[in-house]
Amino acid sequence: MKEFMLFIRSEENPKANLSPEQLQQHIEKVGSFIKRLVDEGRMKSAQPLEMEGRILSYKNGKIVDGPYNETKEVISGYYHLLAKDLEEAIEITKGDPRFEEGIWRVEIRPIKKVEGIN
Amino acid sequence: MNESTKKYSRELAEHFFRTEYGKIVPVITRYVGVNNVETAEDIIQETLLKAVDNWQQKGIPENPEAWLYTTAKNIALNILKRKKHQKKYQLAETSNIVALEHLQFSNEIILDEQLKMMFTCCHPSISENSQIALILKILCGFSISEIANAFFTTTETINKRLVRGRRQLRENKVSFEIPKRIDEHVVIVQKTIYLLFNEGYSPTQKNELIRFDFCLEAIRLAKILVVNKSIKEKTDCYALLALMQFNASRFKARMNTDNSIINMERQDRSKWNKDLINSGTQYLNQAMRGNQISKYLILATISANHCIAKSFSDTNWLAILLLYDNLLELEDSPTVRLNRAVALSKAKGNKEAIVELENLERNSDIGEHPMFHAVLAEFFKEENEISKTIIHFKKAIALTQNKRDLKLLEKKLMAVVPIS
Repeated sequence: MKEFMLFIRSEENPKANLSPEQLQQHIEKVGSFIKRLVDEGRMKSAQPLEMEGRILSYKNGKIVDGPYNETKEVISGYYHLLAKDLEEAIEITKGDPRFEEGIWRVEIRPIKKVEGIN
Repeated sequence: MNESTKKYSRELAEHFFRTEYGKIVPVITRYVGVNNVETAEDIIQETLLKAVDNWQQKGIPENPEAWLYTTAKNIALNILKRKKHQKKYQLAETSNIVALEHLQFSNEIILDEQLKMMFTCCHPSISENSQIALILKILCGFSISEIANAFFTTTETINKRLVRGRRQLRENKVSFEIPKRIDEHVVIVQKTIYLLFNEGYSPTQKNELIRFDFCLEAIRLAKILVVNKSIKEKTDCYALLALMQFNASRFKARMNTDNSIINMERQDRSKWNKDLINSGTQYLNQAMRGNQISKYLILATISANHCIAKSFSDTNWLAILLLYDNLLELEDSPTVRLNRAVALSKAKGNKEAIVELENLERNSDIGEHPMFHAVLAEFFKEENEISKTIIHFKKAIALTQNKRDLKLLEKKLMAVVPIS
């Protein structure tokens, strides 16, 4: 079985990074936008996004889990997580592809087995 | 190559193959027919096996994707030509064979067919469990055992869901096209995508690697919704995408090496992924163009507020509280109120939050949920009302069914029990 080395490149141009102030501005803008629409009574009818336990309906009785960050993350470690250390993988390539979105071009190259070296 | 490089390479290879699987199956399905989607899946499986075999011997081709597409196309053509007399391939008439012969894979075609496949997998006649299983198998290319693993169930169970789903497609004569009442169907697709995301984000999964892949897959699928031209009303598509990116940006910082979650207060924010936050912000801005709000938009904005805060104490809790108030206009449910209470406690103090939760307990069945008591216990603890803290931690413990949560709650309880 030969070994493969993979090179993953992102084909997208890097998005210009917004500064913290710009981010702040944008988020505040959205907040006021929402408030305005609520005040104007322009609420869209509810999505069928069931919060009350449907999200994990195939697990027993897990009710309050959902998208809310407050109970998921703010409350001190209420939920446990099984995690592996990704650090080593990240160190290997620049820009961990797991955390980049975008279009990939994957170059896969077999590693030649050379006597005495590998 | 050292061990971890090898492992990483293997993961990347699997990722590549999985992604291509998810792209090619929809395209081939169009030619063999939705009724024969399993055949399409088999074709791509065979293609990938051939690739591994061929590339190991001859090296990687210059354009690996093109190699895969051509191979899959040829296998499909062979089958169609051989089996066109069989009843189940009647749909694949000569015109289909000719069309397939002329097929040139392009990004646009791939995106289009993936979109159709999303609508197909999320057809309302199919149960939610089967919808997710179909999406994971067909569009995301996960294996049955990977899916079973992620859901803490058996391969038989997942297989049943897939079989049932495919059967429902046949029985309901679902066709492989953009549905006419697209807005209704998009809602279901969005919901499924979000379920998939939360499945990956959920802290109770066994396999962490697959889990984050689920999140990334959900994001990828949401992007397909966003770029296509058939969906006119895209507000929620943008909002959902933003929401998922904001949540995903914090993923890495949430995990501890010892199987525990790091709560937001203690997360190392330098590990939060800035690209995802930026991208989420841009999609959030785009979501505003629709002049409509929905839960996704509000949740996304709440998540955004967390993402841009320099620290836990610097978080704009008041803004988050207001957003929850807005959310209540859309849906006044115990769950929303519970989560709002946390923001309330930070913005206006524990006392007010406690009052709110005690009211909530009287007016709803939230008292039957362990989370409610855990949250309330924390509030009491901060107010130094130890006896009430103990009462609620005990209630949470009594109600919780999850072993890991149980252990944690017991630890918290012990921390407040006075030494006597």
